[in-house]
Amino acid sequence: MNATYLGLELRRFARDRANLFFVVVLPAFLFVIFGATQEYTDARIGNGNVGLYILVSMAAYGAVTATVGVGGMAAVERLQGWGRQLGLTPLPDRTFVTVKAALAVLVALLPVTLIAVVGLVTGAEGTVTAWALSMLAVAVGSTVFALFGLCAALAFRTEAAVSAASGMVVILAFLGNIFVPLSGVLLTIAKFTPLYGYVALARYPVTEGRLISNDGRDLGTEALWVPLLNIGVWALLLGVVATLLVRRGRSRQ
Amino acid sequence: MTTTSPSQEPAAPLEPTGAPAVALRGLTKSFRTKAGEVHAVRGIDLTITPGEVVAVLGPNGAGKTTTLDVVLGLTEPSSGTVEVFGRPPRRAVAEGRLAAILQTGGLLHDLTVRETVRLIASTYAAPTDVDDVLARTGLTELQGRLVSKCSGGEQQRLRFALALLPDPALLVLDEPTAGMDVTARREFWRTMHLEAARGRTVVFATHYLEEADAFADRIVVVAQGRVIADGTTAEIRSRASGRTVHATLPAAGRGAAVNRLLAHPGAADVRVQGDRVSVIATDSDAVARTILVDLGGHDLEVVTGSLDEAFVALTGTSDTTDPIEEDAR
Repeated sequence: MNATYLGLELRRFARDRANLFFVVVLPAFLFVIFGATQEYTDARIGNGNVGLYILVSMAAYGAVTATVGVGGMAAVERLQGWGRQLGLTPLPDRTFVTVKAALAVLVALLPVTLIAVVGLVTGAEGTVTAWALSMLAVAVGSTVFALFGLCAALAFRTEAAVSAASGMVVILAFLGNIFVPLSGVLLTIAKFTPLYGYVALARYPVTEGRLISNDGRDLGTEALWVPLLNIGVWALLLGVVATLLVRRGRSRQ
Repeated sequence: MTTTSPSQEPAAPLEPTGAPAVALRGLTKSFRTKAGEVHAVRGIDLTITPGEVVAVLGPNGAGKTTTLDVVLGLTEPSSGTVEVFGRPPRRAVAEGRLAAILQTGGLLHDLTVRETVRLIASTYAAPTDVDDVLARTGLTELQGRLVSKCSGGEQQRLRFALALLPDPALLVLDEPTAGMDVTARREFWRTMHLEAARGRTVVFATHYLEEADAFADRIVVVAQGRVIADGTTAEIRSRASGRTVHATLPAAGRGAAVNRLLAHPGAADVRVQGDRVSVIATDSDAVARTILVDLGGHDLEVVTGSLDEAFVALTGTSDTTDPIEEDAR
């Protein structure tokens, strides 16, 4: 681990005000609008209340936006000559990957922490275990989606592609049952989209698998293997695509 | 500007290895592209001894950057071997013996000058002091500025600062002044002179003959992936900018006459075509006198080319074209 490099990466991140807003402030703002200020917030669910359920959802959205950006920019930087510059130093590739992975986790923790603080003072409630496990799952699980940013950058080789990938997270969040509780056909489709398993897993400590509907209908509970399978398959798929894209880049050199 | 000779000061930071700074043997490098196989380097043998300041001169696409990438360990050769101070390039980099200034790109725009230097310094076990490097490259005043706000010349000075961090014994520069204005270029080479005087081996690629002439002790001319000339700057310069004397020699004793011209101190190269002889001359008057007076030549012409024309002639000579490669296209 190279602490100087990681410190400077954090400073770069803090320097980008627009990014800071979308990654850190916006998710907390969304939580206040859709969670903290709504009547249904105090309704009980599993090991907490609906406020905590929405808090976890928005934290997951913020964390994924962050890691997609970190993963994508890591690839774009390397393609644009910084990789050659680093290639002239003793820095091993694995240290570069470690620095970027640590950066992704730290950056993902920013929206998670801010939302947690806001949630604590605005009535999100749950057992200590539910809070801790959910937040941990949000932060760790989000690193999988650094691969999504990486794939976008490797495929299109531009910063714009990384921005587009970050923007796509909004759509994937809707499809992944993050912003609005889905039901019926949409819920069935949602179970195959990349963010579904991640957010369902992060909510599991709170809901214990109970599904929430918009209209108070009982949608029953979902077994833990469903979100686990979803995130496992997507992690594998993104990993394979990223590897293929890296190989394609090498043969072109 | 004067030519810098390698300094006697033993400023090399690590124990000398006794091995050549660079040793390339039978180097080739091919790329596969959609258009087919491209042979960027087709067999380069080159040995550079410690302390030399060498220019690799050639037109765009001659294979300069590919060759330097192999020396730096950024690319694996297709065949042949490369050693830097007797070890593989990656090891030389890891030991801090080898550093480079790359062509444009390769900087992070949202870091400041100082942060960039600190970041690269953090990758070395025992880097040179950051403030010292900033001072030597004239960046002390600019250290708080974002890279994106620096001019092209300032960014190049920053790349220079990064290359000095490991205190390398060999410094490789790939077209270091591309995109600089005249003042920045002069300033860059002035600073580089000081570094060469510390005993560093310097290898730089350029397509400006003037730049090679002003700074290098030795010029290696590369065209179409091969070395087509290798010598001191004076030798290359005379070959590149000399006049050509054409004359017809009498049939009797022509062989002996050609040999005499080859040995002539004012002749760089002699070519014979039928009864005509062409002499690339460093001293065209002396060559002409010899041909007319001593060798009985006639129909004499002296042709002067511009420096640029001569350089194009030198690097674009038809006899280096490989017909096999033409088929591959």
